Amino acid sequence: MAYNKPLPVPSAESKPFWEGCRRHELLVQRCRACGKHWLPPSALCPECLSTEWEWTRASGKGKVFSFVVYHRLYHPGFKDELPYAVALIELEEGPRMLSNVAGDVKAVKCDMPVEVFFEDATEEVSLPKFRAASSGRP
Amino acid sequence: MSLRDKYAIVGIGQSQIGEVPGSSSLGLLAEAMKNAIQDAGLNKGEVDGLVSRGPDDIYCHHQRMGEVLGLNVNYSTSLDNGGASQALGVILACLAMDAGLCHTVVCGYGRNAWSRTRQAAESRKGSLQQHAGAEEQLPREFGPEFGYFGAVATHAFGAQRHMHLYGTTKEQMGAVAVSFRKHARRTPWAQMKKPLTMEDYRQGRLIIEPFNVYDCSLRTDAAGAVVVTSAERARSLKQPPVYISGFGSHNNLRGWFFDDHMVNTAARASGQTAFRMAGMSPGDVDTAQLYDCFTYMVIAELEDYGFCPKGEGGPFVASGALDLEGVLPTNTAGGQLSEGHVEGMLQILEAVRQLRQKEPPGRQVPKAEVALVSGHGGNAVCHTTLILRR
Ligand SMILES: [Zn+2]
Repeated sequence: MAYNKPLPVPSAESKPFWEGCRRHELLVQRCRACGKHWLPPSALCPECLSTEWEWTRASGKGKVFSFVVYHRLYHPGFKDELPYAVALIELEEGPRMLSNVAGDVKAVKCDMPVEVFFEDATEEVSLPKFRAASSGRP
Repeated sequence: MSLRDKYAIVGIGQSQIGEVPGSSSLGLLAEAMKNAIQDAGLNKGEVDGLVSRGPDDIYCHHQRMGEVLGLNVNYSTSLDNGGASQALGVILACLAMDAGLCHTVVCGYGRNAWSRTRQAAESRKGSLQQHAGAEEQLPREFGPEFGYFGAVATHAFGAQRHMHLYGTTKEQMGAVAVSFRKHARRTPWAQMKKPLTMEDYRQGRLIIEPFNVYDCSLRTDAAGAVVVTSAERARSLKQPPVYISGFGSHNNLRGWFFDDHMVNTAARASGQTAFRMAGMSPGDVDTAQLYDCFTYMVIAELEDYGFCPKGEGGPFVASGALDLEGVLPTNTAGGQLSEGHVEGMLQILEAVRQLRQKEPPGRQVPKAEVALVSGHGGNAVCHTTLILRR
């Protein structure tokens, strides 16, 4: 069945992020001058305004800063998902990003540890999503 | 030199409020501005400034308003700070007058959110209490692909985090909705008159958890306007002047999702500036008219303004503090949750009404000498504050 949810429309700045997702790599920007990491993608470091920065691969680990659970349909593509959780994920490196937490919405809590996985939405687009971090892993 | 008490609100006006089929935002605002100018006892020719805002798709909004009202003015502009714009309009009026650009300014905001939604082809099964949705300006990445749409969820994130940090409960948010509905039921023009009990609130249909339908503000067709002029000029006009004692603004432009902005909002810094200018503290405020797009924002703002400590907003509102008999009667016409959602404009009008002390018993806050008004919006990070006195 054709994918019927909205797909990201990358900006000039975010294109590398989405290309990374396609390779199942979660990328964040890192400033070479001050060392800060950030998202969403932008042309210069929001801390020190340096343009000397690079894309770097994030660990994919983080925690749920906060979350909401949709019970009302805002887009027909999510009809079969209700109720679904949208979470603000704080990555280990610092930046925060919106995503989904997979699984039972009742299990989602603030500050719960999560890890990234990638969902191949189409041939061209993969979405970074999160699930409860597997515990006790070596 | 301080602008404390140097300018005053001398006229207020509103349009029809509620479901006004076929209304246009410009038409509603023209009605409100005309009423405000009349309320001040002025002719339109005596107005030489205009600050306006409407639906964000109207280009150069103030020009369209001036055209409708048949006005050329010395100073005019339209604003882009979302729900913080309306109090900001009053602030800009003071600044422009103080700079000598003009002497009498009409400020207003109008919207036809109910009619627009109704017209929209995908209009859902018409519950009134459903702020946000298709009319939101949607980002095109880092949101919609995950099913994140609009202002309800934005604020729900803050509510969830606040619950996590401070143990704030759903029932405490419900107390805000219940208090404001009581106010609305005593307000003849309010949109929602149906009684709302805590039990009704508990049964409310979930929209985006932790918010149910009663946590969300209304869809409203309405406009409001005020006339601002110098205190000196005000004293010779028709209405008792309501002096602008203090104002402030703060904008957490790094975003609602950045740092702890969703629980420590821009209201804090905005309020501190306003209280300093007014030479007052929260204890001096007799009534608050707060920007209540969602119940949670009222709790956060009460804390950020210092009406109670951070984290204690929940117990504060649950104590009945916001009722007419409470320690801080708040949104005494019902607010955006029950009177009508005009993006903070009606809050300014209600503050002025209370300070004129001419409301009927059962609506009048006893001995209302000082009122605080807030504006909040612009992706939830722009905030403005007015402190008014009679
Ligand atoms: Zn830097």
